[in-house]
Parts: sequence; C-alpha cells; structure tokens
Amino acid sequence: MQSRIFRVFAGIIAVLWLSGCVSTPQSREVIGEYKHPSPGSTALTSRVLLDSVPFFPQEAYQCGPAALATVLQAAQVSVTPDALVSQVYVPARQGSLQIEMLAAARRHDRIAHTLPPDLESVLAQVQAGKPVLVMQNLGLSWYPQWHYAVVVGYDLAQEELTLRSGLVRDYRVRLPVFERTWQRAGHWAVVLLAPGELPEDGREDAYVNSVNDFAQSAADTELASAYEAGLRRWPQSRLLGMALANLNYAQGDLKAARTLYLHVTQVAPDYAAAHNNLAQTLLDLGEYEAARTHARLAVGLGGSFSATYEKTLDAIEKRIGER
Amino acid sequence: MKTNSLTRRSIGSILIVALTLMGVQAPAMADIVSTDQLVAEQRADAQRATVAGFLAREDVRAQLEARGVNAEDAMQRVDSLTDTELAELSQQIDTLPAGEGAIGLVIGILVIFMLLDIAGVTDIFPAI
Repeated sequence: MQSRIFRVFAGIIAVLWLSGCVSTPQSREVIGEYKHPSPGSTALTSRVLLDSVPFFPQEAYQCGPAALATVLQAAQVSVTPDALVSQVYVPARQGSLQIEMLAAARRHDRIAHTLPPDLESVLAQVQAGKPVLVMQNLGLSWYPQWHYAVVVGYDLAQEELTLRSGLVRDYRVRLPVFERTWQRAGHWAVVLLAPGELPEDGREDAYVNSVNDFAQSAADTELASAYEAGLRRWPQSRLLGMALANLNYAQGDLKAARTLYLHVTQVAPDYAAAHNNLAQTLLDLGEYEAARTHARLAVGLGGSFSATYEKTLDAIEKRIGER
Repeated sequence: MKTNSLTRRSIGSILIVALTLMGVQAPAMADIVSTDQLVAEQRADAQRATVAGFLAREDVRAQLEARGVNAEDAMQRVDSLTDTELAELSQQIDTLPAGEGAIGLVIGILVIFMLLDIAGVTDIFPAI
C-alpha cells in the first residue's frame, strides 16, 4: 500500500519536474547563458530596473488601458488610462484586443513594434531602457484569463522579472512562471518607438513592417524620419530603401526617389520591383532611354508583380514612340 | 429663379472642371510597386523559408518518413499554401520549444500533421 502511494507521489513529482523543466526552454537558456556565457555572445546586464516608468493601478478588468498608458507615458506621450478606455476597452469582453492596443499606440504617434517570440529580446529592450508591453494568460489554456502587464526590470541572478501589473507596482515573478503565462498568450510582446528610434531585435524587415503599419496614421515627416533612422542602421536593406523611396515618390520628390531607387538596384541588382519603380520615376523625369533599360530589366526578372512591370514598360515604349 | 439656375449652372461647371482635373490626375498615379505590396511579399517569403527550413531538419524528416510521407512531397506542397496558412504554420514553428524534450516532440508532431492537413495529405484538423 505504502509503496503504491509512494509510486503515485513519485509520478506526480516526475510530471511536475518535467513540466517545470521542459516547458520553459527560454528561461533555461537565458539563465544558462548568464551563468555560463558562451564565448562571443553579447551578454545581458545581470540586473536592470526602470524605476521611473509610471504606474497606474488598474480598475477591474481594465489592465489594457492601464498597461498601454504605462508604456505610452514612458514613451513621452501624456495620456491617462481613462482617456484610453474608449479606444481599447471592449466592455462585452471585459478586456482589450491586442490589435486595438497596437492601433491606439499608433494613434498617439508611436510605432508599435512586435518583438520576436523570445525572452531574450524582451530583456534586451528593457536593458536598452524600454519597458515592454506583454500579454499573459494567467489561467490555463482551456480556461484563459488574459492579462496585460509591462516588463520594467529583471534580475538574472535572482531569476526574476519585475512587472507593472494589476494593483502591484513592482510585481516580481520567477522567470519560468512568467514564461509559461506568456507562452500561453502566444509570446506577445510590444515596444513603442518614437519615429527615429530603433528596436533592439535587429530584424530590419520586421521594423519596416511596423513602420508601414504606422504609415496609415502618421505624418510624412515622421514616417520619413523612421525610415531614415532604419537606413542609417541598415544601409543595405532593400526593403527600407524602397519604403523611403516610395515615400519620396509619393511626396513628389522625384529626384530623391531616383537616387534611392538607384541605390537599391545597386545593392540588390535582381530586385525587380526596384528596377520598375526606378523606371517609372525616370519616365516621370523625362529620362526615357534610362527608363526603358530599367523597365526591361524588371520585366526580365519577373516575379509577383510582373503585370505591373509590363505596364510600366508599355507606357515607356508608348512615350518613346510618341516623340 | 434666374439666379437659381445660374447658381446651378456654375456649380455644374465647377463639378465638370473638378472631375476633369481628377481625371487628369488619375493616370499620373503611376505604376510603382507600393510599400504595402513589398512588405506583404517579403513576409510571405520569410514564412515560406521558415517552413522550408523546418521541413529540411533531420528530425522532422525522420518523423515524416516514419509516417510514410515523403519529405520532398511535403516541401513541394509548401508552395501551394495561401498566405494565411503560411502565416499560421510559420508562427507555430517559430514558437516551438527549442529543446528536444517530450513536449517539443509532441508539438512537433502536431505541427507536422497540421502541415499535412493543410496540404491535403491528411484530414485530422478540419478546422484549419
């Protein structure tokens, strides 16, 4: 009898041990890297606390507006949770949707940048002085209890994170516990960038993505400064080059657009879209022969937008024929 | 009455001028490939690469072959996935646990079946 109880008990322990160890690989990795840094890797500072990040104790269910106001104020936007309630809170769901949170941040002139689904990126942003908006599922996957919080610090030696969460200003949580709740909410983590600021995750394409979403509500000058900052960091990025050139083109600055499109065709000679847009710009500038050269290159390379390339070439041939 | 018809006529002419101007403006909106289009293309490419990379892994190939599925076939079918399916799948792969532990294995198998389901090889998850 006793041995059976013991066996059941051992089984429970084994399950707990397995789930505790196996299901939080990111925490293990971060902590392991801290204890035994692999050569050549850029180590995180062992302890960071962004104490100046404001705190708004949340009212019932309204963690969305409170967490959003926290990161917006930390990003120098003066806004209160109450002012955000109408923008993000959905009374029927007693909560806020992620997509609404991102849209509301953009409405306040900040680029909402979603981080890759890894803990290290979150910690790197905190180390760089940026609080990170996160979503957690504090319940179970089949009985979810969604919650928004803001990561404001961490301590690798203590294996802890510090959050602005609910009614607690400095809520300290064990890294693996956080990872599990965060994992159940799809690893959702967002930083807010002022136009001209860059994220720490080093993914240029994801950055263009975030800025492009921002484009719907942003002024052209803000957009330009966001793309320019990106290009200073990643001068070889063809997507960033195209984005800024397209913006120049839309603003009617054809010469700036031409210079940039040309730069992109040099960085990425087989990027058909760059040849096409350059050809169109050259056509608008009256440089027909050069326009035709690039339009032909675009048509020859083909790809997803080959119909557009053929239209551009047709327009150029027509214009040359009319002369 | 007279002024009324005059007003109406002048409004009419203004409208005609405005519409003509709009008509002139429209062709000037040239055929450049927009940033929206480029971003969407880049995203789909990256997701395709994620899925292809996953399928190229030794352990994944072994899992596939253990279930009688040719990895090359599965790879070919990745090309026919829609953007939504690609996004779904690549996100699953991106959030897979890094370790080779028991849970990683289970999720790995799940993802493989989801892929096969989308590709029409199996029909285990009709909702996807």
